[in-house]
Amino acid sequence: MTPSSAPAGAQVPPSDRQPVVRMQGVTKRIGKRTIIDNLTLEVPSGEVFGFLGPNGSGKTTTIRMMVGLMKLSQGEIFIREHSITGAYEQAIRYVGAIVENPEMYKYLTGYQNLLHFARMIPGITKQRIDEVVQLVGLGARIHDKVKTYSLGMRQRLGVAQAIMHKPALLILDEPTNGLDPAGIRELRDYLRQLAREEGITVFVSSHLLSEMELMCDRVAIIQNGRLIDVRQIGQHQGEVALTKVFFEVDQPQAALELLTGLGAVLEDGMLTFEGDREQIAAANITLVQAGLKVYGIRKHTKTLEDQFLEVTGGERIV
Amino acid sequence: MFDFLQLVNNENMKIYRRPRTWIMLGILLLMSLVIPLMATLYGGGTSVSMWDLLLVQSAIGIMLATVYAVVIAAEMVAGEFSTGTIKLLMIRPWSRSKILLSKYVALLLFALFFVAVTFGWNILTSMLFFGYTDEPMGASGIHPLNYWMQYYLYEFLTLVITVTLAFLISTVFRSSGLAIGLSLFLLLGGGIVTGIIRMLDYAWVDYLLFANMALTDYLNSDVSTITGKPIGFTLAVLGGYYVAFLAITWSVFNKRDIA
Repeated sequence: MTPSSAPAGAQVPPSDRQPVVRMQGVTKRIGKRTIIDNLTLEVPSGEVFGFLGPNGSGKTTTIRMMVGLMKLSQGEIFIREHSITGAYEQAIRYVGAIVENPEMYKYLTGYQNLLHFARMIPGITKQRIDEVVQLVGLGARIHDKVKTYSLGMRQRLGVAQAIMHKPALLILDEPTNGLDPAGIRELRDYLRQLAREEGITVFVSSHLLSEMELMCDRVAIIQNGRLIDVRQIGQHQGEVALTKVFFEVDQPQAALELLTGLGAVLEDGMLTFEGDREQIAAANITLVQAGLKVYGIRKHTKTLEDQFLEVTGGERIV
Repeated sequence: MFDFLQLVNNENMKIYRRPRTWIMLGILLLMSLVIPLMATLYGGGTSVSMWDLLLVQSAIGIMLATVYAVVIAAEMVAGEFSTGTIKLLMIRPWSRSKILLSKYVALLLFALFFVAVTFGWNILTSMLFFGYTDEPMGASGIHPLNYWMQYYLYEFLTLVITVTLAFLISTVFRSSGLAIGLSLFLLLGGGIVTGIIRMLDYAWVDYLLFANMALTDYLNSDVSTITGKPIGFTLAVLGGYYVAFLAITWSVFNKRDIA
Protein backbone atom coordinates (compact mmCIF):
# COMPACT_ATOMS: atom_id res chain seq x y z
CA MET A 1 0.00 0.00 0.00
CA THR A 2 1.27 3.45 -0.81
CA PRO A 3 0.47 5.68 2.10
CA SER A 4 1.06 8.91 0.22
CA SER A 5 -1.75 8.83 -2.31
CA ALA A 6 -5.29 8.48 -0.99
CA PRO A 7 -6.67 7.84 2.48
CA ALA A 8 -6.34 4.25 3.44
CA GLY A 9 -9.93 3.20 3.24
CA ALA A 10 -10.47 4.75 -0.18
CA GLN A 11 -8.20 2.27 -1.89
CA VAL A 12 -10.16 -0.70 -0.79
CA PRO A 13 -12.73 -1.94 -3.23
CA PRO A 14 -16.00 -2.56 -1.45
CA SER A 15 -15.42 -6.26 -1.56
CA ASP A 16 -18.56 -7.44 0.09
CA ARG A 17 -18.54 -10.93 1.41
CA GLN A 18 -15.20 -10.75 3.12
CA PRO A 19 -15.63 -9.91 6.79
CA VAL A 20 -14.22 -6.55 7.84
CA VAL A 21 -13.51 -7.71 11.36
CA ARG A 22 -12.54 -11.18 12.41
CA MET A 23 -12.12 -11.96 16.09
CA GLN A 24 -10.67 -15.29 17.02
CA GLY A 25 -10.81 -16.53 20.57
CA VAL A 26 -10.35 -13.05 21.94
CA THR A 27 -9.77 -13.18 25.66
CA LYS A 28 -8.97 -10.45 28.14
CA ARG A 29 -7.90 -11.13 31.67
CA ILE A 30 -7.22 -8.45 34.21
CA GLY A 31 -5.62 -10.02 37.22
CA LYS A 32 -7.55 -13.21 37.83
CA ARG A 33 -10.77 -11.90 36.40
CA THR A 34 -11.69 -12.87 32.86
CA ILE A 35 -13.36 -9.84 31.33
CA ILE A 36 -13.75 -11.23 27.83
CA ASP A 37 -13.91 -14.95 27.39
CA ASN A 38 -12.98 -16.56 24.10
CA LEU A 39 -14.92 -14.25 21.82
CA THR A 40 -15.10 -15.36 18.19
CA LEU A 41 -17.02 -13.14 15.85
CA GLU A 42 -17.13 -11.95 12.28
CA VAL A 43 -18.52 -8.64 11.13
CA PRO A 44 -19.69 -8.77 7.52
CA SER A 45 -18.92 -5.91 5.21
CA GLY A 46 -21.41 -3.10 4.59
CA GLU A 47 -23.68 -3.81 7.53
CA VAL A 48 -24.65 -1.92 10.60
CA PHE A 49 -23.58 -4.41 13.20
CA GLY A 50 -24.88 -4.08 16.73
CA PHE A 51 -22.96 -5.16 19.78
CA LEU A 52 -25.47 -5.56 22.51
CA GLY A 53 -25.07 -6.34 26.15
CA PRO A 54 -25.91 -5.14 29.62
CA ASN A 55 -23.64 -2.70 31.40
CA GLY A 56 -20.39 -4.33 32.41
CA SER A 57 -20.71 -7.17 29.95
CA GLY A 58 -17.46 -6.27 28.19
CA LYS A 59 -18.59 -4.21 25.21
CA THR A 60 -16.22 -1.33 25.77
CA THR A 61 -13.35 -3.65 26.62
CA THR A 62 -13.87 -5.49 23.34
CA ILE A 63 -13.93 -2.23 21.41
CA ARG A 64 -10.78 -1.04 23.16
CA MET A 65 -9.05 -4.22 22.08
CA MET A 66 -10.32 -3.77 18.52
CA VAL A 67 -8.69 -0.34 18.27
CA GLY A 68 -5.51 -1.30 20.09
CA LEU A 69 -6.05 0.69 23.26
CA MET A 70 -5.95 -2.53 25.25
CA LYS A 71 -3.79 -5.56 24.71
CA LEU A 72 -5.33 -8.97 24.16
CA SER A 73 -4.54 -11.64 26.70
CA GLN A 74 -5.24 -14.29 24.10
CA GLY A 75 -6.61 -14.61 20.61
CA GLU A 76 -6.38 -12.33 17.63
CA ILE A 77 -8.35 -9.56 15.96
CA PHE A 78 -8.03 -8.95 12.24
CA ILE A 79 -9.29 -5.87 10.47
CA ARG A 80 -9.36 -6.48 6.74
CA GLU A 81 -7.00 -9.36 7.44
CA HIS A 82 -4.42 -7.15 9.17
CA SER A 83 -3.71 -8.26 12.70
CA ILE A 84 -4.34 -5.57 15.26
CA THR A 85 -1.54 -6.94 17.41
CA GLY A 86 0.97 -7.76 14.69
CA ALA A 87 0.37 -5.02 12.12
CA TYR A 88 -1.32 -2.31 14.14
CA GLU A 89 -0.39 0.61 11.94
CA GLN A 90 -1.85 -1.10 8.85
CA ALA A 91 -4.95 -2.43 10.54
CA ILE A 92 -5.93 0.82 12.24
CA ARG A 93 -5.97 2.74 8.95
CA TYR A 94 -9.24 1.06 8.09
CA VAL A 95 -10.79 2.12 11.34
CA GLY A 96 -12.55 5.26 12.45
CA ALA A 97 -13.80 5.21 15.99
CA ILE A 98 -15.34 6.99 18.90
CA VAL A 99 -14.58 5.17 22.11
CA GLU A 100 -17.09 6.15 24.77
CA ASN A 101 -17.73 9.88 24.66
CA PRO A 102 -16.40 12.00 21.81
CA GLU A 103 -13.80 13.80 23.87
CA MET A 104 -12.14 16.58 21.94
CA TYR A 105 -9.65 19.27 22.84
CA LYS A 106 -12.04 21.80 24.32
CA TYR A 107 -9.66 24.74 24.05
CA LEU A 108 -9.32 24.25 20.29
CA THR A 109 -11.95 25.00 17.70
CA GLY A 110 -13.82 22.20 15.98
CA TYR A 111 -11.78 22.81 12.87
CA GLN A 112 -8.48 22.71 14.74
CA ASN A 113 -9.53 19.42 16.28
CA LEU A 114 -10.21 17.96 12.85
CA LEU A 115 -6.93 19.37 11.55
CA HIS A 116 -5.15 17.73 14.46
CA PHE A 117 -6.45 14.27 13.59
CA ALA A 118 -6.13 14.86 9.84
CA ARG A 119 -2.40 15.49 10.27
CA MET A 120 -2.00 12.04 11.76
CA ILE A 121 -3.31 10.21 8.70
CA PRO A 122 -1.79 10.58 5.26
CA GLY A 123 -3.76 11.90 2.32
CA ILE A 124 -6.45 13.96 4.04
CA THR A 125 -6.79 17.21 2.14
CA LYS A 126 -8.27 20.49 3.31
CA GLN A 127 -11.16 19.87 0.89
CA ARG A 128 -11.87 16.55 2.55
CA ILE A 129 -12.04 18.25 5.96
CA ASP A 130 -14.50 20.83 4.59
CA GLU A 131 -16.50 18.07 2.97
CA VAL A 132 -16.78 16.16 6.22
CA VAL A 133 -17.73 19.33 8.10
CA GLN A 134 -20.60 19.84 5.67
CA LEU A 135 -21.55 16.19 5.86
CA VAL A 136 -22.05 16.27 9.62
CA GLY A 137 -23.69 19.68 9.42
CA LEU A 138 -21.26 21.67 11.54
CA GLY A 139 -20.53 24.29 8.90
CA ALA A 140 -21.76 27.28 10.87
CA ARG A 141 -19.99 26.49 14.15
CA ILE A 142 -16.82 24.73 13.06
CA HIS A 143 -14.57 27.69 13.93
CA ASP A 144 -15.96 28.02 17.44
CA LYS A 145 -14.19 26.50 20.41
CA VAL A 146 -15.36 23.01 21.24
CA LYS A 147 -16.13 24.01 24.83
CA THR A 148 -19.09 25.99 23.47
CA TYR A 149 -20.55 22.94 21.71
CA SER A 150 -23.57 20.98 22.85
CA LEU A 151 -23.24 17.24 23.35
CA GLY A 152 -24.98 16.61 20.04
CA MET A 153 -22.49 18.84 18.26
CA ARG A 154 -19.57 17.12 19.93
CA GLN A 155 -21.03 13.82 18.85
CA ARG A 156 -21.13 15.08 15.26
CA LEU A 157 -17.59 16.35 15.51
CA GLY A 158 -16.66 12.93 16.81
CA VAL A 159 -18.27 11.31 13.79
CA ALA A 160 -16.45 13.77 11.53
CA GLN A 161 -13.01 12.81 12.86
CA ALA A 162 -13.93 9.15 12.60
CA ILE A 163 -14.99 9.20 8.94
CA MET A 164 -12.49 11.79 7.68
CA HIS A 165 -10.10 9.19 6.27
CA LYS A 166 -12.90 7.16 4.67
CA PRO A 167 -12.51 4.14 6.90
CA ALA A 168 -13.85 0.74 5.96
CA LEU A 169 -15.01 0.26 9.53
CA LEU A 170 -16.62 2.78 11.82
CA ILE A 171 -16.67 1.80 15.48
CA LEU A 172 -18.99 3.65 17.81
CA ASP A 173 -19.17 2.88 21.49
CA GLU A 174 -22.55 3.73 22.99
CA PRO A 175 -23.09 6.57 20.52
CA THR A 176 -26.57 7.42 21.75
CA ASN A 177 -25.48 7.99 25.35
CA GLY A 178 -26.66 11.34 26.54
CA LEU A 179 -28.34 12.32 23.30
CA ASP A 180 -31.92 13.52 23.29
CA PRO A 181 -34.50 11.61 21.18
CA ALA A 182 -34.05 13.95 18.24
CA GLY A 183 -30.29 13.52 18.40
CA ILE A 184 -30.62 9.76 18.59
CA ARG A 185 -32.89 9.73 15.58
CA GLU A 186 -30.53 11.94 13.64
CA LEU A 187 -27.56 9.74 14.46
CA ARG A 188 -29.47 6.61 13.56
CA ASP A 189 -30.47 7.92 10.16
CA TYR A 190 -26.98 9.14 9.61
CA LEU A 191 -25.38 5.79 10.38
CA ARG A 192 -27.77 3.97 8.05
CA GLN A 193 -26.92 6.51 5.36
CA LEU A 194 -23.19 5.96 5.87
CA ALA A 195 -23.57 2.24 5.56
CA ARG A 196 -25.78 2.51 2.51
CA GLU A 197 -24.09 5.28 0.56
CA GLU A 198 -20.45 5.11 1.56
CA GLY A 199 -20.34 1.37 2.06
CA ILE A 200 -18.89 1.82 5.52
CA THR A 201 -19.37 -1.05 7.91
CA VAL A 202 -20.62 0.30 11.20
CA PHE A 203 -19.92 -1.49 14.44
CA VAL A 204 -22.01 0.01 17.17
CA SER A 205 -22.34 -1.00 20.79
CA SER A 206 -25.27 -0.26 23.01
CA HIS A 207 -27.28 -1.48 25.93
CA LEU A 208 -30.41 0.11 24.48
CA LEU A 209 -32.32 -2.69 22.82
CA SER A 210 -34.89 -0.56 21.10
CA GLU A 211 -32.12 1.47 19.53
CA MET A 212 -30.33 -1.53 18.15
CA GLU A 213 -33.51 -2.86 16.69
CA LEU A 214 -34.01 0.29 14.63
CA MET A 215 -30.40 0.77 13.67
CA CYS A 216 -28.80 -2.58 12.97
CA ASP A 217 -28.86 -5.31 10.37
CA ARG A 218 -27.38 -7.83 12.73
CA VAL A 219 -26.85 -7.94 16.44
CA ALA A 220 -24.37 -9.84 18.55
CA ILE A 221 -25.40 -10.32 22.13
CA ILE A 222 -22.75 -10.47 24.80
CA GLN A 223 -23.07 -11.18 28.47
CA ASN A 224 -20.41 -11.58 31.12
CA GLY A 225 -17.77 -11.39 28.42
CA ARG A 226 -19.21 -14.29 26.48
CA LEU A 227 -20.87 -14.18 23.11
CA ILE A 228 -24.36 -15.51 23.56
CA ASP A 229 -25.93 -15.13 20.17
CA VAL A 230 -25.71 -13.40 16.83
CA ARG A 231 -29.00 -12.73 15.11
CA GLN A 232 -30.29 -10.91 12.13
CA ILE A 233 -32.80 -8.19 12.84
CA GLY A 234 -36.17 -8.51 11.16
CA GLN A 235 -35.61 -12.21 10.51
CA HIS A 236 -38.26 -13.36 12.93
CA GLN A 237 -40.93 -11.27 11.23
CA GLY A 238 -40.41 -12.98 7.90
CA GLU A 239 -40.66 -16.52 9.08
CA VAL A 240 -43.82 -16.11 11.11
CA ALA A 241 -45.38 -19.49 11.29
CA LEU A 242 -47.43 -19.08 14.36
CA THR A 243 -48.13 -15.73 15.91
CA LYS A 244 -49.50 -15.21 19.31
CA VAL A 245 -52.59 -13.09 18.91
CA PHE A 246 -54.87 -11.29 21.33
CA PHE A 247 -58.59 -10.69 20.78
CA GLU A 248 -60.41 -8.05 22.75
CA VAL A 249 -64.09 -9.04 22.87
CA ASP A 250 -67.16 -8.11 24.87
CA GLN A 251 -67.89 -11.63 26.17
CA PRO A 252 -64.57 -13.42 26.72
CA GLN A 253 -66.15 -16.56 28.21
CA ALA A 254 -68.45 -17.08 25.24
CA ALA A 255 -65.61 -16.46 22.85
CA LEU A 256 -63.43 -18.94 24.68
CA GLU A 257 -65.99 -21.66 24.14
CA LEU A 258 -66.21 -20.83 20.45
CA LEU A 259 -62.46 -21.02 19.91
CA THR A 260 -61.44 -23.94 22.13
CA GLY A 261 -60.53 -25.80 18.96
CA LEU A 262 -57.66 -23.38 18.40
CA GLY A 263 -56.35 -23.88 21.90
CA ALA A 264 -57.44 -20.44 23.01
CA VAL A 265 -57.04 -19.33 26.62
CA LEU A 266 -57.88 -16.21 28.58
CA GLU A 267 -55.08 -13.89 29.59
CA ASP A 268 -55.95 -10.72 31.55
CA GLY A 269 -59.45 -10.77 30.11
CA MET A 270 -58.12 -11.12 26.59
CA LEU A 271 -58.62 -14.12 24.43
CA THR A 272 -55.34 -15.42 23.15
CA PHE A 273 -54.06 -18.27 21.01
CA GLU A 274 -51.27 -19.03 18.59
CA GLY A 275 -52.20 -19.31 14.95
CA ASP A 276 -51.25 -18.41 11.39
CA ARG A 277 -52.79 -15.62 9.31
CA GLU A 278 -55.73 -17.66 8.01
CA GLN A 279 -56.62 -18.99 11.43
CA ILE A 280 -56.71 -15.48 12.82
CA ALA A 281 -59.09 -14.35 10.06
CA ALA A 282 -61.26 -17.42 10.52
CA ALA A 283 -61.40 -16.91 14.26
CA ASN A 284 -62.55 -13.37 13.72
CA ILE A 285 -65.35 -14.50 11.40
CA THR A 286 -66.46 -17.11 13.92
CA LEU A 287 -66.67 -14.54 16.68
CA VAL A 288 -68.48 -11.94 14.59
CA GLN A 289 -70.96 -14.44 13.20
CA ALA A 290 -71.73 -15.58 16.73
CA GLY A 291 -72.76 -12.02 17.47
CA LEU A 292 -69.77 -11.13 19.66
CA LYS A 293 -68.22 -7.69 19.49
CA VAL A 294 -64.54 -7.68 18.54
CA TYR A 295 -62.93 -4.46 19.75
CA GLY A 296 -59.40 -5.25 18.72
CA ILE A 297 -57.04 -7.87 17.39
CA ARG A 298 -53.41 -7.48 18.35
CA LYS A 299 -50.47 -9.52 17.15
CA HIS A 300 -47.76 -10.10 19.63
CA THR A 301 -44.44 -9.86 17.81
CA LYS A 302 -41.35 -10.63 19.75
CA THR A 303 -39.17 -7.59 20.03
CA LEU A 304 -35.45 -7.71 20.36
CA GLU A 305 -36.04 -6.92 23.98
CA ASP A 306 -37.95 -10.13 24.49
CA GLN A 307 -35.31 -12.07 22.64
CA PHE A 308 -32.62 -10.40 24.64
CA LEU A 309 -34.26 -11.18 27.91
CA GLU A 310 -34.82 -14.70 26.66
CA VAL A 311 -31.20 -15.37 25.81
CA THR A 312 -29.74 -13.55 28.78
CA GLY A 313 -32.20 -15.18 31.11
CA GLY A 314 -33.77 -11.90 32.13
CA GLU A 315 -30.59 -10.69 33.67
CA ARG A 316 -30.16 -7.04 32.87
CA ILE A 317 -27.41 -5.73 35.03
CA VAL A 318 -24.59 -8.01 35.89
CA MET B 1 6.80 7.04 6.19
CA PHE B 2 4.81 10.23 6.25
CA ASP B 3 5.72 13.21 8.26
CA PHE B 4 6.60 12.81 11.89
CA LEU B 5 6.90 16.58 12.09
CA GLN B 6 3.12 16.78 11.68
CA LEU B 7 2.78 15.06 15.02
CA VAL B 8 5.10 17.59 16.62
CA ASN B 9 3.06 20.27 14.89
CA ASN B 10 -0.04 18.91 16.60
CA GLU B 11 1.59 18.98 20.00
CA ASN B 12 2.78 22.52 19.38
CA MET B 13 -0.74 23.52 18.47
CA LYS B 14 -1.98 22.10 21.74
CA ILE B 15 0.61 24.14 23.66
CA TYR B 16 0.48 27.47 21.87
CA ARG B 17 -3.23 27.65 21.10
CA ARG B 18 -3.93 27.91 24.77
CA PRO B 19 -3.97 31.39 26.30
CA ARG B 20 -2.23 30.15 29.42
CA THR B 21 1.03 29.65 27.54
CA TRP B 22 1.10 33.30 26.54
CA ILE B 23 0.08 34.42 30.01
CA MET B 24 3.01 32.43 31.39
CA LEU B 25 5.33 34.09 28.92
CA GLY B 26 3.96 37.52 29.82
CA ILE B 27 4.52 36.92 33.53
CA LEU B 28 8.03 35.68 32.82
CA LEU B 29 8.90 38.82 30.89
CA LEU B 30 7.38 41.11 33.53
CA MET B 31 9.08 39.38 36.46
CA SER B 32 12.44 39.62 34.76
CA LEU B 33 11.97 43.38 34.54
CA VAL B 34 11.54 43.77 38.28
CA ILE B 35 15.24 43.50 39.17
CA PRO B 36 16.68 46.11 36.77
CA LEU B 37 13.71 48.36 37.46
CA MET B 38 14.25 48.24 41.22
CA ALA B 39 17.96 48.79 40.82
CA THR B 40 17.30 51.89 38.76
CA LEU B 41 14.61 53.29 41.02
CA TYR B 42 16.10 52.47 44.43
CA GLY B 43 19.73 51.91 43.57
CA GLY B 44 20.62 55.35 44.92
CA GLY B 45 22.77 56.22 41.97
CA THR B 46 25.37 53.47 42.50
CA SER B 47 26.72 52.66 39.07
CA VAL B 48 26.03 49.10 38.00
CA SER B 49 27.18 47.38 34.86
CA MET B 50 24.66 45.47 32.77
CA TRP B 51 26.21 42.16 33.86
CA ASP B 52 26.10 42.77 37.59
CA LEU B 53 22.46 42.00 38.15
CA LEU B 54 22.14 39.34 35.50
CA LEU B 55 22.67 36.50 37.97
CA VAL B 56 19.61 37.42 40.04
CA GLN B 57 17.59 38.25 36.94
CA SER B 58 18.52 34.94 35.30
CA ALA B 59 17.79 32.96 38.43
CA ILE B 60 14.26 34.34 38.49
CA GLY B 61 13.75 33.86 34.76
CA ILE B 62 15.06 30.31 34.68
CA MET B 63 13.11 29.35 37.76
CA LEU B 64 9.92 30.54 36.10
CA ALA B 65 10.79 28.88 32.80
CA THR B 66 11.41 25.63 34.67
CA VAL B 67 8.12 25.85 36.52
CA TYR B 68 6.26 26.48 33.24
CA ALA B 69 8.04 23.70 31.41
CA VAL B 70 7.20 21.36 34.29
CA VAL B 71 3.55 22.41 34.07
CA ILE B 72 3.50 21.72 30.34
CA ALA B 73 5.33 18.40 30.80
CA ALA B 74 2.95 17.35 33.55
CA GLU B 75 -0.10 18.18 31.45
CA MET B 76 1.20 16.67 28.28
CA VAL B 77 0.40 13.03 28.92
CA ALA B 78 -1.69 13.14 32.09
CA GLY B 79 -3.90 15.83 30.56
CA GLU B 80 -4.77 13.62 27.60
CA PHE B 81 -5.78 10.90 30.02
CA SER B 82 -7.86 13.12 32.26
CA THR B 83 -9.80 14.64 29.36
CA GLY B 84 -10.10 11.28 27.60
CA THR B 85 -8.62 12.63 24.38
CA ILE B 86 -5.88 10.01 24.63
CA LYS B 87 -8.32 7.48 23.16
CA LEU B 88 -8.79 9.49 19.99
CA LEU B 89 -5.11 10.33 19.84
CA MET B 90 -3.86 6.75 20.00
CA ILE B 91 -6.14 5.15 17.42
CA ARG B 92 -4.13 6.48 14.48
CA PRO B 93 -1.61 4.75 12.24
CA TRP B 94 1.26 5.65 14.53
CA SER B 95 3.00 3.57 17.13
CA ARG B 96 2.66 4.64 20.73
CA SER B 97 6.40 5.32 20.91
CA LYS B 98 6.26 7.83 18.11
CA ILE B 99 3.27 9.65 19.51
CA LEU B 100 5.03 9.89 22.86
CA LEU B 101 8.20 11.05 21.12
CA SER B 102 6.31 13.82 19.35
CA LYS B 103 5.10 15.03 22.72
CA TYR B 104 8.57 14.93 24.18
CA VAL B 105 10.06 16.80 21.23
CA ALA B 106 7.38 19.50 21.50
CA LEU B 107 8.12 19.74 25.22
CA LEU B 108 11.86 20.23 24.65
CA LEU B 109 11.11 22.85 22.00
CA PHE B 110 8.91 24.66 24.47
CA ALA B 111 11.64 24.58 27.12
CA LEU B 112 14.21 25.78 24.60
CA PHE B 113 11.89 28.57 23.47
CA PHE B 114 11.30 29.83 27.00
CA VAL B 115 14.97 29.61 28.04
CA ALA B 116 16.02 31.38 24.84
CA VAL B 117 13.46 34.11 25.39
CA THR B 118 14.61 34.49 29.00
CA PHE B 119 18.20 34.81 27.86
CA GLY B 120 17.48 37.32 25.11
CA TRP B 121 15.11 39.37 27.22
CA ASN B 122 17.43 39.58 30.22
CA ILE B 123 20.44 40.62 28.14
CA LEU B 124 18.35 43.13 26.22
CA THR B 125 16.69 44.74 29.24
CA SER B 126 19.97 44.92 31.19
CA MET B 127 21.53 46.63 28.24
CA LEU B 128 18.68 49.11 27.96
CA PHE B 129 18.73 49.92 31.68
CA PHE B 130 22.47 50.05 32.30
CA GLY B 131 24.12 50.47 28.92
CA TYR B 132 26.35 48.07 27.04
CA THR B 133 29.81 47.10 28.29
CA ASP B 134 31.99 44.16 27.39
CA GLU B 135 34.79 44.12 29.96
CA PRO B 136 36.25 40.64 30.32
CA MET B 137 35.10 38.84 33.43
CA GLY B 138 37.10 38.06 36.54
CA ALA B 139 40.33 36.12 36.50
CA SER B 140 39.54 33.97 33.48
CA GLY B 141 39.12 37.00 31.27
CA ILE B 142 36.17 35.44 29.48
CA HIS B 143 33.83 37.65 27.47
CA PRO B 144 30.68 38.19 29.56
CA LEU B 145 28.31 37.26 26.75
CA ASN B 146 30.21 34.02 26.33
CA TYR B 147 30.04 33.35 30.05
CA TRP B 148 26.30 33.86 30.16
CA MET B 149 25.69 31.69 27.15
CA GLN B 150 27.46 28.89 28.95
CA TYR B 151 25.48 29.64 32.08
CA TYR B 152 22.20 29.33 30.20
CA LEU B 153 23.36 26.18 28.46
CA TYR B 154 24.10 24.51 31.81
CA GLU B 155 20.82 25.70 33.23
CA PHE B 156 19.02 24.38 30.18
CA LEU B 157 20.57 20.94 30.67
CA THR B 158 19.38 20.70 34.27
CA LEU B 159 15.99 22.00 33.17
CA VAL B 160 15.77 19.18 30.63
CA ILE B 161 16.42 16.66 33.41
CA THR B 162 13.71 18.22 35.55
CA VAL B 163 11.08 18.28 32.80
CA THR B 164 11.99 14.75 31.74
CA LEU B 165 11.27 13.64 35.27
CA ALA B 166 7.96 15.53 35.19
CA PHE B 167 7.16 13.87 31.86
CA LEU B 168 7.93 10.48 33.41
CA ILE B 169 5.67 11.06 36.40
CA SER B 170 2.96 12.42 34.10
CA THR B 171 3.13 9.27 31.99
CA VAL B 172 3.50 6.71 34.74
CA PHE B 173 1.00 8.10 37.24
CA ARG B 174 -1.21 9.96 34.77
CA SER B 175 -1.56 12.71 37.30
CA SER B 176 -0.46 16.20 36.41
CA GLY B 177 -0.71 17.36 40.01
CA LEU B 178 1.69 14.71 41.20
CA ALA B 179 4.06 15.44 38.34
CA ILE B 180 4.15 19.15 39.09
CA GLY B 181 4.46 18.64 42.82
CA LEU B 182 7.24 16.07 42.75
CA SER B 183 9.29 17.85 40.11
CA LEU B 184 9.12 21.17 41.89
CA PHE B 185 9.99 19.48 45.16
CA LEU B 186 13.07 18.11 43.45
CA LEU B 187 13.88 21.52 42.12
CA LEU B 188 13.36 23.50 45.31
CA GLY B 189 13.82 20.98 48.09
CA GLY B 190 16.48 18.84 46.48
CA GLY B 191 19.34 20.99 47.72
CA ILE B 192 18.09 20.90 51.29
CA VAL B 193 17.61 17.15 51.27
CA THR B 194 21.06 16.64 49.81
CA GLY B 195 22.55 18.90 52.45
CA ILE B 196 20.99 16.78 55.18
CA ILE B 197 22.04 13.48 53.62
CA ARG B 198 25.54 14.79 53.07
CA MET B 199 26.01 15.13 56.79
CA LEU B 200 25.85 11.34 56.91
CA ASP B 201 28.90 11.29 54.69
CA TYR B 202 28.12 8.22 52.58
CA ALA B 203 29.85 7.85 49.24
CA TRP B 204 26.60 7.09 47.41
CA VAL B 205 25.24 10.53 48.21
CA ASP B 206 27.34 11.82 45.32
CA TYR B 207 25.26 9.75 42.94
CA LEU B 208 21.95 11.26 43.95
CA LEU B 209 20.18 13.32 41.34
CA PHE B 210 19.83 16.26 43.76
CA ALA B 211 23.54 16.45 44.32
CA ASN B 212 24.30 16.85 40.64
CA MET B 213 21.87 19.51 39.55
CA ALA B 214 24.17 22.52 40.10
CA LEU B 215 25.97 22.48 36.79
CA THR B 216 26.67 26.23 36.87
CA ASP B 217 29.18 25.55 39.67
CA TYR B 218 31.61 24.54 36.98
CA LEU B 219 31.66 28.02 35.49
CA ASN B 220 33.67 29.24 38.44
CA SER B 221 35.41 26.13 39.62
CA ASP B 222 36.75 22.82 38.37
CA VAL B 223 34.90 20.83 40.99
CA SER B 224 31.35 20.89 42.22
CA THR B 225 30.68 22.74 45.46
CA ILE B 226 28.37 19.96 46.53
CA THR B 227 30.10 16.71 45.58
CA GLY B 228 33.61 17.96 44.91
CA LYS B 229 33.65 15.94 41.69
CA PRO B 230 34.71 17.13 38.22
CA ILE B 231 32.19 17.98 35.51
CA GLY B 232 32.64 14.64 33.72
CA PHE B 233 31.33 12.82 36.79
CA THR B 234 28.30 15.06 37.09
CA LEU B 235 27.43 14.79 33.41
CA ALA B 236 27.75 11.01 33.54
CA VAL B 237 25.44 10.76 36.54
CA LEU B 238 22.91 13.09 34.90
CA GLY B 239 23.16 11.11 31.65
CA GLY B 240 22.47 7.89 33.55
CA TYR B 241 19.38 9.34 35.17
CA TYR B 242 18.24 10.80 31.86
CA VAL B 243 18.45 7.49 30.01
CA ALA B 244 16.71 5.70 32.88
CA PHE B 245 13.88 8.27 32.94
CA LEU B 246 13.31 7.91 29.21
CA ALA B 247 13.45 4.11 29.34
CA ILE B 248 10.87 3.94 32.13
CA THR B 249 8.60 6.49 30.45
CA TRP B 250 8.56 4.74 27.10
CA SER B 251 8.25 1.19 28.36
CA VAL B 252 5.38 2.07 30.69
CA PHE B 253 3.56 4.03 28.00
CA ASN B 254 3.92 1.23 25.47
CA LYS B 255 2.76 -1.50 27.80
CA ARG B 256 -0.16 0.03 29.60
CA ASP B 257 -3.74 -0.52 28.61
CA ILE B 258 -5.54 2.73 28.00
CA ALA B 259 -8.73 2.58 29.97
